[in-house]
Amino acid sequence: MAPVVVYLRTMAVFALVWWAAALLTGNPMLLPDPLRVARAVVDVAVDGELLAHAAISVVRLTASLAIAAAVTVPLGLAMGTSRTLERVVDPIVEILRPISGIAWIPLALFIFGVGHGLPIFIMAYTAAFPLLLGTIAGAKNVDRRLVDAARVMGLDRAAIMRRVVIPAALPSLLVSLRLGVASGWTAVIAAELVGAPNGLGYAISWYREMLVTPKVIAFIAMVGVSGYLYDLALRRLNDWLTPWAVDTGARL
Amino acid sequence: MGGLLIPLALPAVLVASWQALGEAFGGVRMPLPSRVVVEGVALFASGELPSAMLQSLGRVFSGFLIAAVLAIPLGILMGTVRVVERNLDPLVESFRPVAAIALLPMAILWLGTGTPAAVMLVAYAAFFPILVNTIAGAKSVDRNLVNAAATMGLAPRAILRNVILPGAVPQIAVGLRVGLGIAWTAIVAAELAVGAKSGGGGSGGIGQMMFVFYAYSIELSRIVVCMAAVGVVSLTLDWLVRRGTRRLLKWKAT
Repeated sequence: MAPVVVYLRTMAVFALVWWAAALLTGNPMLLPDPLRVARAVVDVAVDGELLAHAAISVVRLTASLAIAAAVTVPLGLAMGTSRTLERVVDPIVEILRPISGIAWIPLALFIFGVGHGLPIFIMAYTAAFPLLLGTIAGAKNVDRRLVDAARVMGLDRAAIMRRVVIPAALPSLLVSLRLGVASGWTAVIAAELVGAPNGLGYAISWYREMLVTPKVIAFIAMVGVSGYLYDLALRRLNDWLTPWAVDTGARL
Repeated sequence: MGGLLIPLALPAVLVASWQALGEAFGGVRMPLPSRVVVEGVALFASGELPSAMLQSLGRVFSGFLIAAVLAIPLGILMGTVRVVERNLDPLVESFRPVAAIALLPMAILWLGTGTPAAVMLVAYAAFFPILVNTIAGAKSVDRNLVNAAATMGLAPRAILRNVILPGAVPQIAVGLRVGLGIAWTAIVAAELAVGAKSGGGGSGGIGQMMFVFYAYSIELSRIVVCMAAVGVVSLTLDWLVRRGTRRLLKWKAT
């Protein structure tokens, strides 16, 4: 049987169970039936709200990834190639890493206030650690013989970095980018739930306060869909940028 | 001596300049290292911090336990019986990308702003890493071993206990470790957001405590103390899981 059929069959059974549970609950505010939720999805999709909030969250995610990458990729490459630098910087990384981005929310809320700054900071912080560690590991795993060969052939440090180290570190870097997105996406939603005037997390908490449960569920589903699509896009980017990399089968 | 000097250099410089810059330019509220230490000792001595932390940890362990009890048997089943995996996989893949914290509003709606809602979120957050890794672990068991055991006349249940479970344990251990880490992050997020959304109606826990310091008493140094506590707990939990699972994995050369 085709996977699509299996998928649809499973989801149909799930919808039926959900419907039965909704009938038993008898309170659409606590648990609306699938039809109500479907109508709510159409409503928020038609008036553009769904895409608008999702776009804001996704843009924030992308902006903070860019910030995180701009800081950690050069730092990671340097730390992966210089033992001294790694020994100097590593303690700071190990002190900060266990403090989750989410634990920064109250302090960051005080510094940035409610707005774009808070979710972007939290997300960039969260994504920075997997990215940094992935880049360091990637740079360290470069075959020493390739570096030596390049040096023998007269390449200078910058050229070796650009032509040998970066391409070799790229697969590991891209996998860690996906890890960063997975943990950062949760952080964005949490940050928006607490302190942002828009975005998916904000929409969820707004409609909860209005007690419009079908729309709450619609936006929760959108969190899943956007997260999934973003990961899919990154996987495509991986395949396209590093076609030579062996699929590590990394599942997040 | 030189072995310790280099790793300690940067943290020492950063803390010293934080203190110096804070004293020079910061206001009364500026969290300085010295103030953080004083507040940390006070919060610890008064019992506020330990009791908030115990409350959060209790929630983490309950949620984590629920997740493990559900995810490990299900994962073994999905990893060994192809039909079950094929039919349940769509459900797993549909719910896995939904960040646990996004479910918070539903949890509050169903269970209120207290412990049950927090436990539900933790269980949800920890469930998927444990499940996915258990499935992978059960699948990674050498088919030849399973066939050999079957040939030697072992009943399916004995095969499960003596071949598949031991083979899957290393990967399950990875799932538990990842799951517990995520559970701890989720509890802080849940308590924070509950604190923010319930207008200070106390649900307790370290996350709630941080939100109160932010929104009501504005004590930034105390927020930093809580952040440090969150970090220490997360390191400790990770260490405990690694120690606990290492005993299970003694037979396996790493």
